[in-house]
Amino acid sequence: MRLHLALITGASLLFGALPGAFAQSGSLSVPGTVEAGAGFSIQTTGSGSAALYIVGPSQVFKQEVRLGGPVMLPAGSITHAGHYLVAVVTPSSKQTASLDVLPAAEPASISFLAEPSRLPVDLRDAITGAAYIFDSYANLITRPLPVSFKLSAPSGAPQVQTVTTRNGAAWVRMNSTPQRGEDTFIAQAGSISVSRSVHQVAGDPCQLTMSAHPSGPQLELETNPVRDCSGNPVPDGTIVTFTESYDGGLSSADVPLKRGIAKAYLPAHPGGVLSVASGVVLGNQIHWEK
Amino acid sequence: MWKLALISTLLLPLAAYAADAPSVYVDPSVPQTPRPMESQTRTAVVRDYLQSWKALQTAFEQNRTDLLNADFVGGALKTLDKTIRAQSALGITTRYDDLSHRLQIVYYSPEGLSIELIDRVSYTVQVFDHGRPVARRQEHARYIVVMTPSQVRWRTRIFEANPA
Amino acid sequence: MKSGRLLAVILGLATVALIAVGTIWPVSTAVAYAGGQGLFSSSSTPEQAVKNLGDEFRLREWSKAYENLANKNQFSEADFEHDLTGYYPSLRTFSTLESFGVFPLHASADSADVRLDMHWSTVVGTSNTTRNLHLVKTGDAWKVEWPLFKEPEVPPQVISEDYLRWDVIFRGPGDDWATQNVDSPHITIVDMHPVQRAEGVVVLGEILNQDVVPAYVSVSATLLAKDQSAIATESCFDKISHLLLPKQVTPFLIEFPNQQLSDVSAIRMSPFSSLVSAAAGPVIAINDEHLNPAPDASLTGQVVNESGKVLSVAHVLGTLYDKSGQVVWVVDKYIDRALLPKTPAPFNIPIPEDLARKISSQRTVVASFSFGGSV
Repeated sequence: MRLHLALITGASLLFGALPGAFAQSGSLSVPGTVEAGAGFSIQTTGSGSAALYIVGPSQVFKQEVRLGGPVMLPAGSITHAGHYLVAVVTPSSKQTASLDVLPAAEPASISFLAEPSRLPVDLRDAITGAAYIFDSYANLITRPLPVSFKLSAPSGAPQVQTVTTRNGAAWVRMNSTPQRGEDTFIAQAGSISVSRSVHQVAGDPCQLTMSAHPSGPQLELETNPVRDCSGNPVPDGTIVTFTESYDGGLSSADVPLKRGIAKAYLPAHPGGVLSVASGVVLGNQIHWEK
Repeated sequence: MWKLALISTLLLPLAAYAADAPSVYVDPSVPQTPRPMESQTRTAVVRDYLQSWKALQTAFEQNRTDLLNADFVGGALKTLDKTIRAQSALGITTRYDDLSHRLQIVYYSPEGLSIELIDRVSYTVQVFDHGRPVARRQEHARYIVVMTPSQVRWRTRIFEANPA
Repeated sequence: MKSGRLLAVILGLATVALIAVGTIWPVSTAVAYAGGQGLFSSSSTPEQAVKNLGDEFRLREWSKAYENLANKNQFSEADFEHDLTGYYPSLRTFSTLESFGVFPLHASADSADVRLDMHWSTVVGTSNTTRNLHLVKTGDAWKVEWPLFKEPEVPPQVISEDYLRWDVIFRGPGDDWATQNVDSPHITIVDMHPVQRAEGVVVLGEILNQDVVPAYVSVSATLLAKDQSAIATESCFDKISHLLLPKQVTPFLIEFPNQQLSDVSAIRMSPFSSLVSAAAGPVIAINDEHLNPAPDASLTGQVVNESGKVLSVAHVLGTLYDKSGQVVWVVDKYIDRALLPKTPAPFNIPIPEDLARKISSQRTVVASFSFGGSV
């Protein structure tokens, strides 16, 4: 008696612990894979009505069906790619199976990260582009797809690279060109393209030089038009520091470029040494003797 | 003999319930990505991804979309949110119990704004219709996951099962 | 009933008695906040006269203070008030006299010299000023001859200004992944090193705005122990110029009180920058910068506002270097008076005596602010 009770308890617990114990696969026929948004059918056996569940984190579907024949799911029923549990449930039986829904074949949108939005000219591999390709249902398309990246500068030939996606992602590195200006960076997959702007700005000042002229009791200090090493004008507003050293004292002024030139007035001290700098770039020095 | 049988049958369900936390394996190989990944970043993204699974489980079990916001963002948040609302409207709740994860980091985008990983996950899914269990099955899926950084953590932006 | 009436009478009498005691023998603090001199403080000594003046300043009783001056016929009450509160909106305008010190210098039968050190509480900290006062005895009372500082007059003129101005348009709200945005300014720490001081660890350095756009900058540092755990995190609030124009450099100084450098194996620096609207002016020249050696080591000079606009607040920052060009210390001072156009304003910033002999050179920068908007 006790043995029978123990065996029955153990057996029921055992079957309860086993996964899928309530499901009886084999009499439910489900396609292995289906394209997102496509219609498909599920073959059922038996008779009477049942509830059909298609359940996954991406989507949930429930419908009352008649057993014993194909259950047609029209196009647009399951649109999110993912792995689904399919269950047909009656009051007396439960049948389960798995279904994989794949992304649609054609790209419909691109998430394109282009960095940076602003950078100095003439830098190697300084611009990066990374793209993720999605179908019309916002599913990531993971089969390999060619993606074309094109960086067009105001002058010069565009840079073009074509990369095949891996797991839905593709990336490139490009050089900034020697000319300042607004570049257009385009990622294209199939007939879909997305564009970004990359602003190329002048680099550090190059060959910074100034001149000094007396102006009453003061000295007028003025730089030549300030340009970078590629000849691009350094933007207005860039700070230039003028310094005058004399007899243990110092005078200085931080002056912004205006129309490419910086100008300042410092007290005139005979024997003073005048210097100019911008950021970490040093310019010429003038020994003022007058 | 019968004592042995009794003990075995009693221990089996206990064993099934004993392991609450899933087993996690992270592929240690360094992926060929355009951006080098620091170990702290690697640890953080794995930790935050596993945390997002916990959030998903609770959200689907209780039909609470607000529980997703801390761990999901963008397309993944939208999709999961919509699914929970749909199942709630149907009177359905689902329970996802992850049993094991095999994770592989496959891509760190060059500007540092996304990390892609593949998760081969084993889990059980149970479906309840108006509180009545209607289906249960053990599943194995391969998830493509893209995580993006937010202010305090990595959040899941793409969460898509896709067989290889 | 009888005992209740008795208690009421006793309480009434006690109240009257206490009021009388408080009136006849008030504590000095109560006098100060009740109206200063009141009935019972007389300027019978030079020190008391200056003290009374200080109390009147603290209570902002300019009329009362003016009335008690010996030389009030030399200037108007408005000039006297503006001497203390500023002729234009400035730090001084919104400050209060927190405390003062009176130091007799010299006295004779009918004249005396007293130094008045005033400690003003401003929105950016304490500002100290000193006036050497001459007093004369008039009858039984001593009166102060106030040395008025009259703000120089700027000649009327038209000054055109065309400083470049930047404005920023950010992307809209919502999920921002993979949509176009403007990058934060690129800044870099060009110099950094920690030093041990008696108060704790100090991290010094300089930040450069490498970009072509203005940047709001700040920087924090985390001290790491040998096991890479964080000991402390602090940020630089004051000894930094937060607004950097393109290619501009600011010093920074971060203090870690009560920490030991010997416990630190690494320091993690976290500079921060964001885009802000800004103007490329006004230009402020700094003239006659001098490093004055110990004793009383200091950095002195004059700032000159080259624009046509009155600048409410000027923050002078001095970066001090040793022979090898490494940052030794950062000093700063707020000029509590407004900077008038083309008018030099002196500054004198003390340097720690123990560092003075290490200092070989310096670089001074000025950040300015106008009430009603930054410049």
